[in-house]
Amino acid sequence: MSEPDTSPKVQTTIETGDEEPRDAPLNTKETIIETRDLDVYYGEEQALDDVSMEIYEHDVTALIGPSGCGKSTFLRCINRMNDLIDSCRVEGDVEFGGKNVYDDDVDPVALRRKIGIVFQKPNPFPKSVRENVGYGLKIQGYEGDVDERVEESLKSAALWDEVKDQLDSSGLDLSGGQQQRLCIARAIAPDPEVILMDEPTSALDPVAASKIEDLIDDLAEQYTVIIVTHNMQQAARISDRTAVFLTGGDLVEYDETQKIFENPEHQRVEDYITGKFG
Amino acid sequence: MATEETGDQLGQTTRLRLQKLKGQLFEVSLVAATLVGILALLVLFAYISVDAFRPGAASPVWFLAYFGTLVAPMAAFTLYARRKPAVQETNARAFAAVFGGLLLSVVMYAVIDSLSPYDVFTYVFFASIPPALVLTYDRTTDDRTYTGPAIPVSIIVGLGVAAVLYDFVRGPIGIAAEWIMYFGLVTVPAALLVARLTASRRGRRTGAIAGGAVAAGGLAVALASIVAGIDASLPVVLFSGSVVPTSYVVWRSVRTNPEGRVGVVGPFVLIGGTLLGASLVEGFGIDNPDTFLTPNLLLQSWDGLTASNAGVYPQIVGSIVVVGFMAVLAFPVGIGAAIYLEEYAPSSGWGGRLATLLEVNISNLAGVPSVVYGLLGLALFRRTLGFGTGIVVSAAGTLGLLILPIVIVSTQEALRSVPDDLRQGSYGMGASRWQTLREVVLPEAIPGTLTGTILALARAIGETAPLVIIAVATTTYSPPSGLFSSATALPLQIFAASANAKPEFRHGVVPAAAVVLLVLMLLMNATAIVIRNKYGRGN
Repeated sequence: MSEPDTSPKVQTTIETGDEEPRDAPLNTKETIIETRDLDVYYGEEQALDDVSMEIYEHDVTALIGPSGCGKSTFLRCINRMNDLIDSCRVEGDVEFGGKNVYDDDVDPVALRRKIGIVFQKPNPFPKSVRENVGYGLKIQGYEGDVDERVEESLKSAALWDEVKDQLDSSGLDLSGGQQQRLCIARAIAPDPEVILMDEPTSALDPVAASKIEDLIDDLAEQYTVIIVTHNMQQAARISDRTAVFLTGGDLVEYDETQKIFENPEHQRVEDYITGKFG
Repeated sequence: MATEETGDQLGQTTRLRLQKLKGQLFEVSLVAATLVGILALLVLFAYISVDAFRPGAASPVWFLAYFGTLVAPMAAFTLYARRKPAVQETNARAFAAVFGGLLLSVVMYAVIDSLSPYDVFTYVFFASIPPALVLTYDRTTDDRTYTGPAIPVSIIVGLGVAAVLYDFVRGPIGIAAEWIMYFGLVTVPAALLVARLTASRRGRRTGAIAGGAVAAGGLAVALASIVAGIDASLPVVLFSGSVVPTSYVVWRSVRTNPEGRVGVVGPFVLIGGTLLGASLVEGFGIDNPDTFLTPNLLLQSWDGLTASNAGVYPQIVGSIVVVGFMAVLAFPVGIGAAIYLEEYAPSSGWGGRLATLLEVNISNLAGVPSVVYGLLGLALFRRTLGFGTGIVVSAAGTLGLLILPIVIVSTQEALRSVPDDLRQGSYGMGASRWQTLREVVLPEAIPGTLTGTILALARAIGETAPLVIIAVATTTYSPPSGLFSSATALPLQIFAASANAKPEFRHGVVPAAAVVLLVLMLLMNATAIVIRNKYGRGN
């Protein structure tokens, strides 16, 4: 069994990770989301097994693991997107701002206005760029200047310069990478506190993906970002903390990204990161 | 490992040749199937058209005249526009405006005329005041939460008020001249629409002026007709429903689309050519085809003894009224049921099983023979509800039941074709189910829904068997005067006339009326296609 740092692939990722100027003292950050003993079932099948973790404000938290390990399920539990699946059953607590989001008096619609989500496949609405970004504002009855907010959001999503002359053309006319940034602009326009990203770059080419990665870095200044990714180098590059899920919906290890990639506690995590399985 | 041996394996073997042959045979049989289908239909249509138009009686000069005035200019124009998409687009718009407007005006006039313009005006007037009040209130307040639901409710309230006050107001309204009713029913909405469209582009002042011009034009047409001593009703309707949209489209095309402005002449080439041809034929006394497809057929009442006097005006209006009322009954129910089943119904548990059971049964109902629906209609409307025999409500209700499953299934298909990604995206933004439906799902599903429902209309307009079962009269001599008056429908009259003892009915009037029915149906299908393309292009 070779040491993780003998693998050239992992080595480069860690170097990239170290270049990031974002190693502020993590322990001073406040907890924004905390899950306790979270079990999720799809019918009879268990997708998450007793997951407890704390996610910190303004962190980029990466969720990695092999396919079917429950990381997307975990992500979708946080803003109750799983409610849309009839067979899905959730046990345990997901606390957001000190309130269990599965309490009876929590409206998932209100919750999702605080916790936005960006999906794997860019899914802009078949409307104009302006209407896409303004969608959240419209449905939430935003009373301020919508155009101004649209512009700000597009700037935050690093898309303004590319689309400022075609705000009224369809969002579907943009390229794949632009569409994904449009979806990010759409998610941040109503000013949520947390942005969930479900493999946001896996359907994009490397150049578009790296733009999104840069963007995620900037977004963490203002928002808390939780990102599911299959790409371990990506997790190493952009995240502050990494959670490794392994088969059966187990959260095996959750720690600062650097520690996970350099010196994981569990042999299984090390094997997964070095590409021995998964 | 590309050796010489590999190269030798690249040639055709018997096995490969056989496989290829199988594929070719399959393709040939597909082509044959397509040709057989198309040829059979073509032969059928050729027979009907020859019987309907009877071109044999026309002199060669007749063909020459129309070729020169109509076919050649149209062909020249088509050739000219062949490589110019801008011209083609303007041309399509102009065609839609000219013929759509003309058709709309004529149908509106015929239906309002048969139902009594005073009654229609009374109901429309009272039904439009409450929503107008709601909209005015909406302008003055910031809280718009209730505006949406308030509008349909207010319309129903208005209709209720109209029904209650009918006896009191019908007398005073009846004093006014008939054309004033049409002015209120057609010219006022047209003026408001033009004002709104113009205002959205060129400011409120210009909008108001444009709307005022339309209203003034309507008044001028009415006065001119009165001075000329003719009934002002039809001119007012034609002006507002046909001249106004035509001028609007022509004006806008010429202004905004300099490359394609030539396209606006398309429909006028067609109309001018026809008129010119007709006047030539008339002027030089050229023999016309001995057709029964004449204005007589469209404008007269039925005459079962003299074929040349037989007209199907009451039948056409009856068909339109029945199918129109059927649409009012069936579409909200069908589309509503489809939205519920597709978007709201649970997918698991007892509720899910019930929904699945319903869906399976609805698909089966779409295939139930129409005669059976006739029996259902007879039992429901005649026996249970005790309605009179063969009245508009029963006919519309029966046909409505018949197309309900078609509407539900096609709307479900349209909703199902909206990608789930979009729903997820909307929910993920914190939209409620209603907001997701309204903002994302329904706009995407509109083209499919409209196409499906209009095709269902086209099916209903041709139905005969259920109407025979519920004892709709085959012949009436006036169009229906209300929802509870007896009506007839065009296919019924065709069915009855096909048994007429005189051959000129069987071989002249019947095919001519069949062509009218086909044209009605094709117009509906064309509308479906136009709507689908219009909404489809937005994406």
